[in-house]
Amino acid sequence: MTPTSLVSRQWLPSSSPPLLQLLSRLLSTLLLFSLAGSTVADTYDETLLLQPLSGQFLLASFNFRSHGPIQAFNKQMFQLFPRSLGQILQYTHTRELHLRFALGRWDSELWGAQPDDGQNAGGTGVELWAWVEADNDVEAEARWTSLNNALSGLFCASLNFIDSTRTIRPVMSFSPTGDYPTTNTTRLFLLHGTLPKEPVCTENLTPFLKLLPCKGKFGISTLLDGHKLFDASFQSMSIDVRPICSATTGECDIEIQQNIDMVLDISRSLQRKDSPVPRPRDQHELICDATKSYGSTEYCYPLDNSFDLPWSLSDLFGKSILGRCPFAVRSDQEVAHVCIAAPKERIVSLPEGSDVTQKTLEDGRRCYTLRDNQPFDVFLPKQEPPTSPHRQEPLLYAERSFTGHGQEHGGVKTVLRNPSTTDAVEVVYLESLPWFMKPYLHTLKAELLPSPPPSAGKDAGKVISELYYRPALDRKRGTQLEAKLVVPPNSVVIMTYDFEKAVLRYTEYPPDANRGFDVASAVITIPPHRRKSDGKFVPATSIRTTSLLLSLPTPDFSMPYNVIIFTSTIMALAFGSIFNLLVRRFVAVDEVQRMNLKATIKGWIGKLSKSKEE
Amino acid sequence: MDRRCLLVIGAGILLRLVLFTAFPSLPTTLAQRVEISTPVTSYKRLQEGIYLYTHGVSPYDGGVFHQAPLLLSLFSILPPSAIVTNILYVLADLLSAVSLVKIASSGVATVTPQHVSPRKDNSWPPWATAAAFLFNPFSIATCIARPTIVFTNCIVLHAVAAAVQGRRAPAFVSLAMASYLSLYPILLFPPLLLLTYDCSKTSPKPSIQAFSAVTTVLFSTVLMIYFKLSHLLTGSWEFVASTYGVHLLLPDLTPNVGLWWYFFIEMFDSFRAFFLCLFQLHLLIYVPGICLRLRKQPLFALITLVGISSIFKSYPAVGDTGLYLSLLALYNHVFATMRYSFFLAAAVLYATFLGPAFYYLWVYAGSGNANFFYAITLVWSIVNALIVADALYAVLRDEHETERPELIGKDVVQI
Repeated sequence: MTPTSLVSRQWLPSSSPPLLQLLSRLLSTLLLFSLAGSTVADTYDETLLLQPLSGQFLLASFNFRSHGPIQAFNKQMFQLFPRSLGQILQYTHTRELHLRFALGRWDSELWGAQPDDGQNAGGTGVELWAWVEADNDVEAEARWTSLNNALSGLFCASLNFIDSTRTIRPVMSFSPTGDYPTTNTTRLFLLHGTLPKEPVCTENLTPFLKLLPCKGKFGISTLLDGHKLFDASFQSMSIDVRPICSATTGECDIEIQQNIDMVLDISRSLQRKDSPVPRPRDQHELICDATKSYGSTEYCYPLDNSFDLPWSLSDLFGKSILGRCPFAVRSDQEVAHVCIAAPKERIVSLPEGSDVTQKTLEDGRRCYTLRDNQPFDVFLPKQEPPTSPHRQEPLLYAERSFTGHGQEHGGVKTVLRNPSTTDAVEVVYLESLPWFMKPYLHTLKAELLPSPPPSAGKDAGKVISELYYRPALDRKRGTQLEAKLVVPPNSVVIMTYDFEKAVLRYTEYPPDANRGFDVASAVITIPPHRRKSDGKFVPATSIRTTSLLLSLPTPDFSMPYNVIIFTSTIMALAFGSIFNLLVRRFVAVDEVQRMNLKATIKGWIGKLSKSKEE
Repeated sequence: MDRRCLLVIGAGILLRLVLFTAFPSLPTTLAQRVEISTPVTSYKRLQEGIYLYTHGVSPYDGGVFHQAPLLLSLFSILPPSAIVTNILYVLADLLSAVSLVKIASSGVATVTPQHVSPRKDNSWPPWATAAAFLFNPFSIATCIARPTIVFTNCIVLHAVAAAVQGRRAPAFVSLAMASYLSLYPILLFPPLLLLTYDCSKTSPKPSIQAFSAVTTVLFSTVLMIYFKLSHLLTGSWEFVASTYGVHLLLPDLTPNVGLWWYFFIEMFDSFRAFFLCLFQLHLLIYVPGICLRLRKQPLFALITLVGISSIFKSYPAVGDTGLYLSLLALYNHVFATMRYSFFLAAAVLYATFLGPAFYYLWVYAGSGNANFFYAITLVWSIVNALIVADALYAVLRDEHETERPELIGKDVVQI
């Protein structure tokens, strides 16, 4: 047995010593008593949704949401709202905050639409947007800077590098999700910044968990462990703070919502459990397709998805859920803490002796309520033939890539595909490009495939209906491109433009200059609308493309002194030869007494030998 | 203008039109060459500027377009067809060639009021000078790639042509336009002033002080009018920082044939401002010396300054060198006294062929690094500087021989 698994064993509650169990029980009781004494006005919910995806993947969505009266928040009376974040928001006059940390790529071809319509997902790296209240633009900018700096310290992320070159002010893409009955909305400034290169890791997860009321000690958050979270195929952490007001009473609450979506590769996680070091599978473990004619005992044609892999929470996360968070309890109702959205045929079993209530919702979800101090685990056994998980078709598929070669020019190509056969999709496409990538807007083209028939008129091929463009300024701000376009049903829009790569000063390159520069994901927003074909309401949806890696021409970093010397020499040579001609007079060769080198040297030698003799 | 001149000009124009029509992708390919297009002259950037301007976005509030507003409005009223644009560029070259013929026909290169060259009979006929411009590969490539330097060159030549005829107002209105378009022609103001003064036919001749005072007022008034017009067209003064600021401060470090780009890539941040000032002053410092020493031949002082600014300005291109070499053809009668003509011609060819190759190795193949192209720009600059110096030597020698005809054909030294 390897030492790592030994350590993890120790933390399993079943094997913890009785004294520790007693202590934790005592503590939680004390906590509950103290809660009963004070008036907790804040409400808190936490839910975990486990949803099998196609291709033996599992989506685990953790949602933590608390809200409390905004008056108390404004008076700095924090109950469940994290004080550290609350004070930052108050100091910087931030009314609404959205922070995203994301890694990996959501494979929409395989997994379908993103959970929550993509509202909780961010672009690769860190993405932050906020509505800051200020009197004018300059003040908003200053508050935005201090917000970034403070959040940078709080989340151990390089958010302080979101400077004016990485900040944009989107015009069409984002709209506030909170309610502002009293605030003058003209005083709210939307600022958006991205750090596509930021490597999201454990140091960002720890402060994220600390914002939770139970801080990862109880409840579903006990599953969140850096080793598992950052081993996922896709993961996204989000924090959203916004004011919400009741339409009937007019009272306002401040809401904080923390979300973690992770897509686990089940077979990879199970393999990690058996052997932490990856090793090839033994032959008898391989699942081969025996129907292939070329298959034999020596060759294996791997067979995917012949059965549903068996898994349990403790297999995938290395531990089971420890108790429940005492704040996530309602006296009036049973709260569903963990839900499994597996197909109905899939068997879900609980360990023996657990007295967890199970409830099956109308949509087939099986939901469970956690109990105090009781570990919770579920087990989904191996199932053959495999069940097919529900896959929701996304509204739009988006891909973006670079075209061209060389380090001088290039192009960007975005492919937007509408899979619907009946409904057109109106989207807002937002790109925030670094200043050293200089797009040529006159080369922007949107091509519609299949191209409309010529009889459809001149404007039928026109896809972009509105365009907002703010060109980059060298070293001051990046490019912002927003385009409103319509993708007709069952067709593809290909958007292309050319750009030029700037050469930077040698101090502006990162240490790994030849790796390239990351270009932030494009944000594609589909505004809330009513579907034309069946009148169904479609909420706002966002889709993000992957980030791009832009390689720029690099100078020779070891050369500064040499270059200064060479160039200066050339200039001195030119200056010298021209001024030499300008200031000196011409004379014939025989008119001047030329220095006779031979005679001079002879003279010197003669003098020297003379002095020696003396 | 005789038949030969017309024939040469016709052939040059025809060559350009044929290149434009027979190779439709050639303009785009050449327009992307860093040796021909610079950030302040590039045709692609001009198109971007026009696009933004016609769509209501200020092109000067961005880092791509750095060209003068009048150019912008000229192109925005033109029909957006490649043929019209190409014809405009060919017409500019036609005008340049006509101006060169005028300059050559005036004979100012050989005979000025203070100086008569002993080799004046050796000088080329005007059609040969026009041919030196029209069939110069640098000029042809520049015309096909359509950078806006073509217009600056055309206007500079027009100004000189007006000056050798003693027509002050057209000369300085044109020079003001050239300076307005690309800043550095302002360095040509002193020699052009002397040239106009020497060639002016008004009698009695005003004193040089009075003449220069009036000319300075004229020049600056015209320049002000251009600025005010630009202000009216764009609605703000931000074009000043975005055009002349770029010439002066070099924010865009795109490679070119000059010395600045790599120097300021590799420059330490704390010394950047110092060296920027130094590089600009370096250009300025040649003006008084050359104008004083070549007082007898102001046309050659002007040509030398064209040559120097084509090497040491912030965004030079081969089009600048093309202008210098065409103007230098006016002084072919002194070429015999040049010392390194063969070496220089060979070195120009060397840099011309290796430059694109090394740039390809660095940017596309990845098998070379930036030093490859930098080395070639060093060679290019030193060769051009030596051409300027050698031509200067030849002219000074020629001038010296009018003073002391007995030294013709003898070796001389400088003391």
